Amino acid sequence: MSLPLKNVPTADHQNTSPQVAPASTLLDLGGVSKTFGNVQALSGLNARIGTGEFVTVVGPSGCGKSTLFNIVAGLEEPDDGAGIQFRGQSCKARDLLGNVSFMPQQDLLLPWRTVIDNAILAIEMEGMPKAEARALALKMLPEFGLAGFEKQYPNQLSGGMRQRVALMRTFLFKRDLMLLDEPFGALDALTRTMMQRWLLDVWQKHNRTILFITHDVDEAIFLGDRVLVVTARPGKIKLELPVNLPRPRGAELVTSPEFISLKRTLLEAIEEESMKSFQATTGH
Amino acid sequence: MTSTHALSDLPRAALRGVLGVAIVGLIWEALVWALNVPSHTMPRPSQMASAVAATPDAYLSGFLRTLVETLIGFAAGAIVGIGNGVLFSKFTRLRQMVFPLFVVSQTIPVIAFGALVVLWFGNTMLAKSVIAFYLTFFPVTVNTLVGLQAVNPKQEALLRSFGASRWQMLIRLQLPTALPQIFVALRLASTLSLVGAIVGEWFGDTTGLGVLLLQAMYNENMVGLWAAILASALLGTTFYGLMALIERTCVFWRNDL
Ligand SMILES: Nc1ncnc2c1ncn2[C@@H]1O[C@H](COP(=O)(O)OP(=O)(O)OP(=O)(O)O)[C@@H](O)[C@H]1O
Ligand SMILES: [Mg+2]
Repeated sequence: MSLPLKNVPTADHQNTSPQVAPASTLLDLGGVSKTFGNVQALSGLNARIGTGEFVTVVGPSGCGKSTLFNIVAGLEEPDDGAGIQFRGQSCKARDLLGNVSFMPQQDLLLPWRTVIDNAILAIEMEGMPKAEARALALKMLPEFGLAGFEKQYPNQLSGGMRQRVALMRTFLFKRDLMLLDEPFGALDALTRTMMQRWLLDVWQKHNRTILFITHDVDEAIFLGDRVLVVTARPGKIKLELPVNLPRPRGAELVTSPEFISLKRTLLEAIEEESMKSFQATTGH
Repeated sequence: MTSTHALSDLPRAALRGVLGVAIVGLIWEALVWALNVPSHTMPRPSQMASAVAATPDAYLSGFLRTLVETLIGFAAGAIVGIGNGVLFSKFTRLRQMVFPLFVVSQTIPVIAFGALVVLWFGNTMLAKSVIAFYLTFFPVTVNTLVGLQAVNPKQEALLRSFGASRWQMLIRLQLPTALPQIFVALRLASTLSLVGAIVGEWFGDTTGLGVLLLQAMYNENMVGLWAAILASALLGTTFYGLMALIERTCVFWRNDL
């Protein structure tokens, strides 16, 4: 299978003004459904991701968020009838394989590889010589808060560090679209806040488009240009909420009236769906 | 890191082992002497030592000969076993066709099979190694296959999302995942290959630990028999210990998961 989407140069863009509509659409999903046996995970999901955008996704547990990511990463085909466009070209999900950098819900670090070798896993498989890849990664370690840890093995790291290694692996695999599935899920509140600010810095510096799943409403608003709320299973987009808050965003933002009002809207939408999801799974 | 631990622990562990053997030897010596057991029933360790000292060349050359046969059979069994495991994991049809044959082959008693091998290869060193191989390749095949099938599908999906080829998947993910399982089989195979070599020697030869065992049995030479048994134990234990050490160095991440 040839990959018609490979070798397209990385788009050059600015992330500084989210209020302005994105210059171009990077990914367009139309009517994406996915059925596993008799479980329908997604049903007619539509979404459009602009180049350079930071889009966060929230929704009740089991609503199909990870399934959506698996499709966008090219690991699963959606049911027939879905329309996927990447950089304006119609394609199958599998054409996206290798064109998207994907960080799954678990860090999935290889226990026999050191921090540095886990970080370079993807670029090493792309064909970069190991020495060159290591040198490149070594320079990035401080930025990811991992300086001095290059020779450690995953089982010697804290949960937060493991996730940073996984993030670094994702960043080194330079693709326009990054999928981050609850990357800060395992972190305590304090570390999480640090990592969020850090991620925004890195995102602005590296000019990537990010699709970010989270269960944390504050996190979704704090990071995103837009928040997508997914309905209870079968998942589709319930609400698309633009976050018109200025960047760079600081800690004080979380207590501003604009933030609170966005949060209220989101919580209402999520609670409605969570109730549905809860009732469906408990039978009440 | 655990691998350095394993290495720094080694002298101590070895010392403890030697100490244990020495204590058992002393108790043995004392018991046989105190209970006045005749040496044709149960000889004393000192008698075995002097038997070896009387004809050291026979024991040394026998030891080396059996060692070489064992190592060749083991190496061939390990390589073929790992290769089979990889092939079977990639080609399900092949596995379904060939695997039952392997199982049947393993139900044949090694003695019956040994006669066949000797007719084919004669009383050569190769014949002994073939028997050692025959006992070795099957557990390695099975464990390699089981280990390769234990790969986490999510890890596999992650590597696919990086555009991994089948070869990269095998080298970077599947084989390292299977390594702990493979080493379990290799440890087992280290013992089995020695059994194979000694059984092979019983079909006729002039040098080897198996030959010494057989000669001692025919001559009802209890001291010689025990000396040969202990020489085999030394060979088997050393080989097994070496495999366990290599395992601890290679599979360092398993110990503190
Ligand atoms: N490979 C699969 N086979 C069968 N069912 C699956 C498979 N993958 C997902 N599902 C089902 O699809 C539904 C959605 O799962 P998914 O993992 O996408 O949810 P999620 O929104 O990511 O949940 P969470 O927030 O808990 O991570 C679930 O009911 C799950 O059981
Ligand atoms: Mg999920």
